[in-house]
Amino acid sequence: MTDPRPPSGADDEHLRVALRAAALRLEAAGRLTPGTGGDLLRSIVETTAILFGAEAASIALHDPSTDRLVFEVAAGEQGQGVVGLAIEVGEGLAGYVYSTGQPIALADVAADARFGRATAEQTGYVPRSLIAVPLADDDGVLGVLEVLDKRGDGGFDLHDLELAGAFARQATVAIRSSRVERDAAALLRRVLADASEAEGGGDPGDVDAIVSDATLALDTGSDDPLWALADEIARLRAADPAQLDLVRELLAVLVRRAERGSGGRGFGGRR
Amino acid sequence: MTEPNAPTLSPAAGASLPAWAEAFARDHRAELRRVAPFATVDRAWAFGAGDGAGVTVAVIDSGVEGGHPALEGALAESVRVELEGEDTRVVPDEAIDAVGHGTACAGIIHSIAPRASIVSVRVLGSDNRGKGLAFAAGLDWAIGRGASVVNLSLSSRSEAMYATLHDLADRAYFANCLLVCAANNVAIASYPSLFAAVVSVAAHDDREADTWFYNPHPPVEFGARGLDVDVAWRDGGRIVATGNSFAAPHIAGLAARIRSAHPTATPFEVKTILAATANRP
Repeated sequence: MTDPRPPSGADDEHLRVALRAAALRLEAAGRLTPGTGGDLLRSIVETTAILFGAEAASIALHDPSTDRLVFEVAAGEQGQGVVGLAIEVGEGLAGYVYSTGQPIALADVAADARFGRATAEQTGYVPRSLIAVPLADDDGVLGVLEVLDKRGDGGFDLHDLELAGAFARQATVAIRSSRVERDAAALLRRVLADASEAEGGGDPGDVDAIVSDATLALDTGSDDPLWALADEIARLRAADPAQLDLVRELLAVLVRRAERGSGGRGFGGRR
Repeated sequence: MTEPNAPTLSPAAGASLPAWAEAFARDHRAELRRVAPFATVDRAWAFGAGDGAGVTVAVIDSGVEGGHPALEGALAESVRVELEGEDTRVVPDEAIDAVGHGTACAGIIHSIAPRASIVSVRVLGSDNRGKGLAFAAGLDWAIGRGASVVNLSLSSRSEAMYATLHDLADRAYFANCLLVCAANNVAIASYPSLFAAVVSVAAHDDREADTWFYNPHPPVEFGARGLDVDVAWRDGGRIVATGNSFAAPHIAGLAARIRSAHPTATPFEVKTILAATANRP
């Protein structure tokens, strides 16, 4: 005894409200996680190059659709030639590190003529020394982080290898969370599609329209003070725990005042 | 996702633990004290004339380049593990190495135990679960093949493979087959390198091939050369490499010599002899 009534205007409005709330949260999550996707990867390789005083650094991620490792980003002028290169898993140094999860450092790479030539043909750059570490966490290996040519002295030592490994682990956590965020956007889209289908088969174009409509409805302009606040909070990621505690306490006081009404009193209420 | 049989050293602890190699750093070696005097067990007795003769060492890795001059024809057989879904198959393979790493390991073993016969088991592949399966199948094959030393410079961090690899480590131990495993360079849980039945190895920060240390504080019990090692690499080349995966074959080569000098020694005894003859800290 179902009631096959067509979607009413009220239901539609309800969906839009829920959608707007979800889109708003995703946008806020994006603001609070600075640098997602390509930006995040770029930031990781640039930080890596600085951390090791290296000429170049690069990230190759596993592409499940082709089962290959694709070099996504690189830092350093010398490193750019590798971007876009796709290699078989289990081949070459990056393939080995991806397959085994075992970090490796090589030196005198150019001294081995054949190794050097093969590398140069692919990337236009033959490093003297390099480190390759897995981008891995407990859920598996996402790809490989390579650091090329430490400036100054010779090659990389065991300490560098361990440092690179620990750094790569942190980077993996960041990459995974950015994927969660991206997946959340995809999930939202799918839920919408399901919902419109259940309501009598709206076409996918409708879904896109609803999503972009909801996103457009967001006031994400920089003139909204709340977004400025979100940006400030994102920058607090660099703060130490004690500083964060202080900020949290200060915010709690401010929030309580805001909830009580006009924020004019106290806190240097210069009005 | 469940985590069955999580070991005491859980993977989650990884980032905060000191790296496995740290125990063997010069500054930390005073900690490597031992109780047993081992007075009469010295290197002359342990290795005698043992040059690896009669010992088969399996190298589970990226393949071994049979024609590499560093091996001087020591490669006796090559196989690879093929994976189809959850099914694995061990098939004959060409004597090739798509990376160079397996050839590096075989070259180190051959330089220490020149008459040991080397068998290559190529297991590299994609997909974490698949890799673990191929790895386990390769290890299973090597034990069945009668290898008395197996060099594992790679390991699996897959919790799903924990029980399978634990069973294989036990099986190897009871089949008189010594597993020599590189600890991961990052201090995380990886198997079978952290199982008690195996010989686990990290790199120390010296450059002498005949220097090794015993660490009485498991899980990583041995430190061997893994820093700036001049190794054989693919296409007949050589390269200078650093990592725990180059430390393990140094110990595998020593184990092959011990087994060659003392053919009736068990894995437990070989490990004890390695500890007894280790450098004093």
